[in-house]
Amino acid sequence: MSTSSPRRANAEPRWLRLTLTAVALGFLGLFLALPLVAVFTEALRSGWDNYLTALADREALAAIRLTVFIAVFVLPFNIAVGVAAAWAIAKFDFRGKSLLITLIDLPFAVSPVVVGLVFLMIFGAQGLLGPWLSAHEIKVVFALPGMILVTLFITFPFVARELIPLMQAQGKDEEEAAISLGATGWQMFFRVTLPNIKWGLLYGVILANARAMGEFGAVSVVSGHIRGETNTLPLHVEILYNEYNAVGSFAAASVLALLALVTLVAKTLVEWRMRRETEMLAATLAPEATGTSTGNRS
Amino acid sequence: MSIEISGVTKRFGSFTALDNIHLDIPTGELVALLGPSGCGKTTLLRIIAGMESADAGHVKFAGEEATHLHARERKVGFVFQHYALFRHMTVFENVAFGLRVKPRAERPSETEIRRRVSELLKLVQLDWLAERYPSQLSGGQRQRIALARALAVEPKVLLLDEPFGALDTKVRKELRRWLRRLHDEMHISSVFVTHDQEEALEVADRVVVMNHGKIEQIGSPDEVYSNPASPFVYQFLGNVNVFHSRVHGDWAEIGREEAQTRDAGNVVAFVRPHDIEIENAPVAGGLESLVQEVHTIGPLVRVELAHGPELVEVELTRERAATLTLGKGQRVWLRPRQVKVFEASAWDLEDGGSGI
Amino acid sequence: MKRVLPGFGLSLGITLVYLGLLVLLPLSGLVFKSSALSFAQWWDIATGERALASLRVTFGASLLAATINAVFGLIVAWVLVRYSFPGKRLVDSLVDLPFALPTAVAGITLATLYAGNGWVGRYLEPLGIKVAFTPLGIVVALTFIGLPFVVRTLQPVIEDIEPEVEEAAATLGASRAQTFFRVLLPGIFPALLTGFTLAFSRAVGEYGSVIFIAGNMPLVSEITPLLIISKLEQYDIVGATALALLMLIISFLLLLGVNALQWWAAHRHHRLNGGAL
Repeated sequence: MSTSSPRRANAEPRWLRLTLTAVALGFLGLFLALPLVAVFTEALRSGWDNYLTALADREALAAIRLTVFIAVFVLPFNIAVGVAAAWAIAKFDFRGKSLLITLIDLPFAVSPVVVGLVFLMIFGAQGLLGPWLSAHEIKVVFALPGMILVTLFITFPFVARELIPLMQAQGKDEEEAAISLGATGWQMFFRVTLPNIKWGLLYGVILANARAMGEFGAVSVVSGHIRGETNTLPLHVEILYNEYNAVGSFAAASVLALLALVTLVAKTLVEWRMRRETEMLAATLAPEATGTSTGNRS
Repeated sequence: MSIEISGVTKRFGSFTALDNIHLDIPTGELVALLGPSGCGKTTLLRIIAGMESADAGHVKFAGEEATHLHARERKVGFVFQHYALFRHMTVFENVAFGLRVKPRAERPSETEIRRRVSELLKLVQLDWLAERYPSQLSGGQRQRIALARALAVEPKVLLLDEPFGALDTKVRKELRRWLRRLHDEMHISSVFVTHDQEEALEVADRVVVMNHGKIEQIGSPDEVYSNPASPFVYQFLGNVNVFHSRVHGDWAEIGREEAQTRDAGNVVAFVRPHDIEIENAPVAGGLESLVQEVHTIGPLVRVELAHGPELVEVELTRERAATLTLGKGQRVWLRPRQVKVFEASAWDLEDGGSGI
Repeated sequence: MKRVLPGFGLSLGITLVYLGLLVLLPLSGLVFKSSALSFAQWWDIATGERALASLRVTFGASLLAATINAVFGLIVAWVLVRYSFPGKRLVDSLVDLPFALPTAVAGITLATLYAGNGWVGRYLEPLGIKVAFTPLGIVVALTFIGLPFVVRTLQPVIEDIEPEVEEAAATLGASRAQTFFRVLLPGIFPALLTGFTLAFSRAVGEYGSVIFIAGNMPLVSEITPLLIISKLEQYDIVGATALALLMLIISFLLLLGVNALQWWAAHRHHRLNGGAL
């Protein structure tokens, strides 16, 4: 965001500016800053010792491990499919393209609880595939595979959504140039396309990761809440909270809040990088580069 | 390497971008595809490059069928309108790209790549920019790097899409001359697309004028300018006054010899503003007119005259204008030096307008 | 047709297979499952007393939360784009917190803050305002969840306003308020509506942040997603499926609505710019 000092004619009177700023900051303070501070305060309410004990709990550690495992497992799929979808949509014209874009957004629109239920209806004991699965002793719901499936569903749109507008803005010229210079498809992809989209890709991955680690509703439905086995960190937070173990619950929550802060910082850094890239793109397309165009012209 | 295009047709949905195009480009020539936007010139260039496939017709390189060759296999140098430089690579790496992606067996050694790239950068006079990134270059510099990159793979044909379109006027003129010199040195068959008639006339050996997916005329710059084959070409290459014989019976008479077989009521006469002489006294066949405006534009004097309801534009040299001492409202007589007559129907197809 | 750029078949194939297997097939499984119900049965479940009450709570709270977000989101976006104050970049980054913070964490934190002895609740309770464990608590949670949508949709649009437009209005004698309501607001209205709809549609499906603060009293503060879960826990698969299908249809309609709005906004923009793009 360019720090804009509005021109005179466009400025609100000083009292109004101050009032609006105060209202905005008050609203954000009440709804964002206060909860964030509260998480850590509650977690440390009875001292560092209790906090660290709560975190070192065997079940808490198991929950952290499971949460990380699911995210690490899910992200490569998100990357591969997200890039594939963005490539097809941004670089080619075909019938039904806007329908496809809408369908990619679908997982964002569906309630997490419904997502969980949907997978229960298919893989659960009474689900469509239930009898077959139990005959072959394959456990999907109330087990890791089900949790991975719903997480894949929930996080599907992030990478593609981030890449589609970026790749559309970049156009096809550079890829066409690479091909006309004799590059093969993979050479073109790894040498030209990937370097151009790497920050957008990272941005999508950061968002997908935050969602994968933080997902609650959908995972809750298919996990079965088996302590030490199918409890992710958010589910662990819920269980402890419902047992009135405030310190344990907020200790686990503070880890997730920390993750959220790391996500925000990473996101801001990547955004900053991407803005520079956009400026570079704009400069590359503009008729003349600014600044360094001192020209030794023949 | 020569290029032969025969029967090429391309449709986008219901829109016909190219309609049965035939064009031969001999080895070593610099050819301009000239026309207004949407006339199909860029599509034709992309079909030659293999970036687009034709619905019908053939493209041959040096007599060999190339229609179904992939862009990668055509050995064509393509310079994009917006240069399409790889923004994550330095100028050096941009130029080296085509060499680096060659299959291992054909790929030159690293020292050879360095030598070839710096040679090319010297050729485009930008070797001092090798470590810069595209965003740090001026438009004209980017254009020359794009050209060096295309030349690195030693193409047999060089194709340029609006090569000077995104540059400002001064840089344009310099680059134009520079491209012409470069072509004379390298002597590879080159085709460039432009909508700027001045550019086409100045740079090209031959000009292909296109409109609505068809070729209107092929000829040397002088031919297409002084002997346009159609009203469209006349209109597109420079300013023109259009005279309908109904209105200007006398002038259609002047073009009579050319239009002997045509019906006098149905012809339209085209005269360029600099092909009209202004006389202070009545002359035979002269059109009596009133001076409306006199503008001095650099070396030229542009006079706007009214003949009845019609507006006529005439361009004179400063010297000639000085001897005439033209003033507003002055009565003068116009005499054409060169008139071209077309049938009115051919004209109506293009435009119903009245001249300039 | 031959294409120059490679990988169209491969990339589209991967996308369609993945989308089909992971998203569309499971969703149609739900539709298939509920086809065991006749429409009348389905309607009975969807309009049962407890279901209707939950829908009323869900949609009422979502509407209220989205409205709060529209009003304050507009102010926040305006302040963040137009004014400068110390720490602006930090505040700007913080706006995305609800996207990054797991909903369960938001849920327990808000419940603790707004409980009678919480930092906020202890000042509201003496005034007779109970937030936690009432429908009002649901509104608070949903406002938190939907906060970034309006701000993030509006920011680029406000940034794109050309200062000349406002200057023109000013030279024509418009007051600042007239300029805002007659010139600027109509321009950013489609984005505002899009942000509102996004926040609303997120709120309707929200579960994690709500259940801790809602109190979950049937007929009073029970949201539909929670009702689906409690039906599941009572092994009322049919009831859960029926409600889930209803939610699915609603979210599909909201998604179409958002798309239509975005198309409208883009189209309008296009036309205002004289179609040049």
